[in-house]
Amino acid sequence: MIWKTAWKNVWRNKVRSLVVISSVIVGVFAGVFSIALMNGMISQRVDDALNEEISDIQITARDYRTNYDPQLVIRDPEETISKIKLTEGVAGISERIILTGMANTAYKSTGVQIVGIDPEKEKQVLKLYTKLIPGTGDYFNNESKSSPVLIGEDLAKELNIIRYSIDSSTLVRLKARGLPESVMAKLVLLRGKRFTNERQFIKEMKALFAAGESKKYGTVIKKEAWSFRNGARFILTFLDKDNNQVGAAFRITGLYDISNSVFEKSTVFVKNSDLKKLIGLQDNSFHEIVVRISDLDRTESITNTLAVKLSDLEVLSWKKLQPELALMTDMVQQFYLVFGIIILAALAFGIVNTMLMVVLERTKEIGMLTAIGMNKKRIFYMIMLESVFLSLTGGVAGMIISFIVIRITSNTGINLSRYAEGFGAMGYSALIYPRITLGFFGIVTILIVITGVLSSFYPAVKALKLNPVEAIKSE
Amino acid sequence: MKVLEIRNVSKIYNESEIQVNAVNEVTLDFQEAEFAAIVGPSGSGKTTLLNLIGGLDSPTSGEIIIDGTNLSKLKSSALIDFRMRNIGFVFQAYNLIPVLTAKENIEFIMSLQKWSRLEREERTFELLNAVGLSERANSRPTKMSGGQQQRIAVARALASRPKFVLADEPTANLDTKAAAILLEIMEKLNREERITFIFSTHDARVVKMAHRVITLEDGKVVSDVRR
Repeated sequence: MIWKTAWKNVWRNKVRSLVVISSVIVGVFAGVFSIALMNGMISQRVDDALNEEISDIQITARDYRTNYDPQLVIRDPEETISKIKLTEGVAGISERIILTGMANTAYKSTGVQIVGIDPEKEKQVLKLYTKLIPGTGDYFNNESKSSPVLIGEDLAKELNIIRYSIDSSTLVRLKARGLPESVMAKLVLLRGKRFTNERQFIKEMKALFAAGESKKYGTVIKKEAWSFRNGARFILTFLDKDNNQVGAAFRITGLYDISNSVFEKSTVFVKNSDLKKLIGLQDNSFHEIVVRISDLDRTESITNTLAVKLSDLEVLSWKKLQPELALMTDMVQQFYLVFGIIILAALAFGIVNTMLMVVLERTKEIGMLTAIGMNKKRIFYMIMLESVFLSLTGGVAGMIISFIVIRITSNTGINLSRYAEGFGAMGYSALIYPRITLGFFGIVTILIVITGVLSSFYPAVKALKLNPVEAIKSE
Repeated sequence: MKVLEIRNVSKIYNESEIQVNAVNEVTLDFQEAEFAAIVGPSGSGKTTLLNLIGGLDSPTSGEIIIDGTNLSKLKSSALIDFRMRNIGFVFQAYNLIPVLTAKENIEFIMSLQKWSRLEREERTFELLNAVGLSERANSRPTKMSGGQQQRIAVARALASRPKFVLADEPTANLDTKAAAILLEIMEKLNREERITFIFSTHDARVVKMAHRVITLEDGKVVSDVRR
C-alpha cells in the first residue's frame, strides 16, 4: 500500500512532477549520449590504431626504438617467427623493414617513415588494404615488376600529386548529381583548369560561388574534381646500411585514406624485397615483426608470453607503443563515472527542492498519518519511494530515448566533417559512431536510484520532525 | 471491562513564562462500548485531553493506561504501533489520503498491520456497507461530499477493530443532515462492534446521543454524567 500511495503521490501535482521528470530526462539523455559519443570516439581511435597503424604487438631488437638504428635488426628471424606462430592466441604475423627518409616529387619534399612489407602477410596484421581509395590502384594485389608504393591521400595532397580539375566528364557527373543550372554555369568557367593543390581549388571556388552555394555544393564538387594519375612517379631517398644516401623511384599503386592524417602524411609502404635490395640488408633480416592476436582482452598475457620466449628481443603491446591511447581507455571509465555523478548531483538539487515542497504542503497529512499509526520508518520510506519514483520515471524515459538515439546514430554515425581537419590531426575520425554497452544502462539505473534515495533524506528528516498535534492543526 | 484509565493526568504548557494548565488532574475510566462526549467551552482542554488519551501528546504528570498498557512506559516507535492497533481517530477535517480511493483509505491501516488481502477486502466491504457507501468504494475523497468523507474516516478508524475511537469535533464541518447520518452510523457501530467512542464536541446533537457526558472547565472535570 505504501508503494501504491507513493506512486500516486508522485502524480498528485502532475505539472510539477512532469517538470522534474523532464529535467531528469534531459539530464540523463545528455549524460548518456555524451558518454556514448566519447566512448565511440575513443573506441574508434583504438580500433583504427590497431587495425590501420600499429596492430596489437610489435617485436624489435633491443634498443632499436631508442634511435631507430637501421643496423639493429632481428637476427634469426625464422626461429623467432616459428616461436611466435606456436604461441596460443596469435592470429597473424608480418615482418617489416623500417627506415626514415624523404619523399620527393617535382613540387615538394617531406620526411616520411618508409615501411617495407610483404603485402600478403601485411593483410594478416592490418586492415589497411580495406582503406584504399577506389581507382587509385591495388597495391596489395599488384603483381607488376615496377617498384610499387602505397601512400596516404594526405601525403599525396601535401606533395601536390593530387590534382583538381573540371573537365567535361566532371561536368557530366556533377550534372547527374543534380547540381542546379546556376552552379553548373559557374563551373563551366573553370573547365580546363587544373589545380595542383586543394587550397588553390577551394580558393577559386569561393571566389566563384556565393557562400551558401560553396557550403552546399563545395564538398561534392571537390570530390568529383579530385584526380590522381595511377602509377605516378614517386622518389624516396634514405640511408642504406652503410649510411650512404640512396634514392629510388617508385610508382604509386594506391592511395590509402584513414582517419589519422598525421600517419597518412608520414608513412609510406613499399615491398620488403625492393627496400632490401636498395639498402643492402641480408635477405632474412627485419627491423620489426608485427603480431595480430585473436582476443584483445588477452593482449597483456600474450605479450608477456612472447617476451619470455623472445627474451633477447623487445616485445611491446599496443598499450606500450601508444601509451596515450592506453591512458584514455584506462581512465575513461573513471571519467564516465565522475561525469555521470556530476549530472545526477545537479538533478538531485531539483528533486530535493520538489520533495521539500511536497513535505511542506502535506504537513497536515503527515501529521494525520502519524496519528493513525504510521511510524517514522514508514513515513521516511514513503517519502523516499516518492523521490525514487520521480527520479526513476525520468531516468528510465531518459535512458529509453538515449538507447533509441544511440542505436540510430551508431548505425548512421554523426558527421562532423566540418571539423575533419582538426579531428584528423589528432588521429580521430570525423564520422563518430556512438557506442554504449547495455551494462552501462544498469549502472545508470543504480545511480538514479541512489540519487532518488539521497535526495529524499533531507525532506524526509524534515517530515519526521513534525509534531503530529501541531501538524494536524496546521492549514 | 475497562478499556481506558486516566489517572490524575495533567498537562502543563509553559508559554512565554506563563504556565497554562491545559489539563488539570483529570481522573476518568472508560468501559467497553461506551458512547461518551467530552464537552466544555473553548480552551477547556477537550482536544488536549483527547490528544493525551491518543498518545499524540504526553502528560506532564499522571498515567494513561489502555487495556493494561501504560502509555508513558512506551518508547516512541512502540507508542505509534500501539496507537495503530488500539486507537482509531476521526478528525474534524476528515483527513483522508486524497490520492487513495475510499476503499484504499480504509484498507490503509490494515495493510500497515499486514493483514492478508482477503481479510482486508472483507473488512473493508463490511465497513463500507455499515457506513452506507459501498457504491463509492472506488471514489477518491475529492469526488465525495464532506459527510461522505467523514463516514469513510469513521470506517477507517474502525478498520482494525481498535479498543476505542477518539473523535475530535467530527460533526463540526458538516451540515445538519450529514451530521445526523454520521452520528446514527457511529451509534450503530458502537452498538454492533462494541467499540468505545469518545467525542470531543460542542455539538448538542452529539451530547444528546451520548450515554455519558463529561464536562471540562479550565482543564478540570466539573461533571461526569452517565445516562
